[in-house]
Amino acid sequence: MTSPFDPADVTWSRVSTRLTAARLIPATITFAVPVVAGTVLAATVSPWFWLLAGASVLLLVWTAIVVPRQVRAIGYAEREDDLLIRKGILFRSLTVVPYGRMQYVDVEAGPLDRKLGLAKVQLHTASVGTDAQIPGLPPQEAARLRDRLASRGEARLAGL
Amino acid sequence: MNAPGTTSDPVPDRDAALHWRRVHPVTPMVRGWAVLGGALFIIGQQTLDGGPEEGGVIGLLTSPYWWTVPLGLVLVGLIGFGFAALAWRMTTYAVGDETVHLRRGVVFKQQRHARLDRLQAVDVRQPLVARLFGLSELKLEVAGGSDSGIAIGYLRDADASELRNELLARAAGLKSTTPAPVREEHETAGAPDHAGPGADAPAADAPVTAAPEAPEQPVLEVPMGRLIVSLLRTSVTIFFALFIAGLIVTVVVTGTPQVVFAVIAPFIGIGGYLFNRFSTEFAFRVAISADGIRLRHGLLETRAQTIPPGRVQAVSITQGLLWRGRDWWRVQVNVAGYAADAASGTSNVLLPVGTRDEALTVLSLVLPDLGVDDPRAVLEAGLSGDSRTPGPFTGSPRDAVWVDPIGWQRQGFAVTGRALLLRSGRLYRILTVVPHERTQSLGIAAGPLQRRLGLASFEVHSTPGPVSPGVHHLAAADAAELLEEQAARARSARAQAGPERWMEGPR
Repeated sequence: MTSPFDPADVTWSRVSTRLTAARLIPATITFAVPVVAGTVLAATVSPWFWLLAGASVLLLVWTAIVVPRQVRAIGYAEREDDLLIRKGILFRSLTVVPYGRMQYVDVEAGPLDRKLGLAKVQLHTASVGTDAQIPGLPPQEAARLRDRLASRGEARLAGL
Repeated sequence: MNAPGTTSDPVPDRDAALHWRRVHPVTPMVRGWAVLGGALFIIGQQTLDGGPEEGGVIGLLTSPYWWTVPLGLVLVGLIGFGFAALAWRMTTYAVGDETVHLRRGVVFKQQRHARLDRLQAVDVRQPLVARLFGLSELKLEVAGGSDSGIAIGYLRDADASELRNELLARAAGLKSTTPAPVREEHETAGAPDHAGPGADAPAADAPVTAAPEAPEQPVLEVPMGRLIVSLLRTSVTIFFALFIAGLIVTVVVTGTPQVVFAVIAPFIGIGGYLFNRFSTEFAFRVAISADGIRLRHGLLETRAQTIPPGRVQAVSITQGLLWRGRDWWRVQVNVAGYAADAASGTSNVLLPVGTRDEALTVLSLVLPDLGVDDPRAVLEAGLSGDSRTPGPFTGSPRDAVWVDPIGWQRQGFAVTGRALLLRSGRLYRILTVVPHERTQSLGIAAGPLQRRLGLASFEVHSTPGPVSPGVHHLAAADAAELLEEQAARARSARAQAGPERWMEGPR
């Protein structure tokens, strides 16, 4: 049986693999703190603190395995009347956002994103339930997508 | 208050043509009490928390400096009323052909324009103090997120309803400034596509006055006895009763009545919730007019809501376990303008409690046409049917029993010409109706267990509110097909959707 998350005749665009780095660097910093603290405390106070350091290292390794796969799973496709966004490996989701329902588009890039040449495009509809964000786009692709979405949205504009 | 006709001067500059009006001069009297009430509340809370031995207000009152307490209250009152008076001076409003303008703010000035064709609902609110003065506040809801509406208050009751009628007439696309076209448009307004039961005939011979109130037809009223019984039959009340019983047992067994004080906070919380529901849903009346559905309710604060046609984004009809014996149902809606109230949910209730017939009647008021030959049968199946009863609903496959052992037979969806119906919940029954043209976006999702069983959950994203339409654990192929088809149906329904100004012809 074909997966419901792979509609027929849809070609998915992938996001940049640099997103892996953008997600791993903050994770490494976050986990480095308990690793260092655990090591120091284990050496000075009690060997039980090796547990803290060890658990943090395990979590970091797990993150390093999962994140590249998660990044590869993110995809988007521009269809005639709507935008498809899919994500997740274990917990999969697929969102369909009609262009005529878009209220506004956000393009965001944090300092690390800018360094790596990435930007995030987020679509907003009148519903807060619409979780339509595409992280890890190269800036020119993000700008192109933003303009394209805006113009398509205008062409299919509808009220609420 | 001037007649609305004064804005008719054909001046090219729109702003200059606006006639700015003040709200009623008694407004500061009404608003000022809020400050004093707030101060008293804080003092009361401090006193209760601190107890007499820690000083506090009681300690102060019994000391030689007792006079500082009334003096302080008078000062707070003066500040409150003074500020309210200043705010009143700064508050003006005007109604243009396409927009409503409001200027307000003492320190930070604010000017707000709301487009009338984007109007989602109009409420006339009467808090208790305002009722004593015969005043009410008009609240215009637009779909701009929290705090996006325009509140014009306070006005005399008659002025408020006159202003509401004027706004609704303009929002409907009737130009109230020139009397002659009003009549013409009113006659065409009787077109059957947006007429509720009996609404079309009286609309045709509407008076020629500037902003006639759209004639309304009472539909139903919730008797007080039923409201009380329905509240007693909610799970909250049962929980409350068990809580009190447990408390009594604890006190008797341990012999320490002090326990009562330790748990008084949740006690007040639950009691407050029940009283709040009783108070807002008291004397609930539903009526229909050409301007949409009208709701009137409230014990302390009365409220008259008008939701124009086509503003309802999603409807849910629900029934708790304890209501099943009486076959009572509760109807709630998502309206974009009521987003700010979504947490309290007081504005989103279309029917607090009603029989099955009443619930379906109310549903037919907001969604007159389901686009199916026998709507009653479809809705009945949605309300109380499950996968064992034949009907138009597509349910979950048998494997769903592993992820939803109790409710899997109730999960299901049905598609009609105009709306998507989703049912779920075996103990707490839910039927959700989403008109195709009100679909915002769609999504499907599946966790690891669901994928192993070949299932997926389907969700329709609606505007913020108490209704969150979705159906879980469909067969993956059904979910994918529904996603694909629903996207197409929503698209074509949007293209044919009626105009924002509900009395104008189709685009």
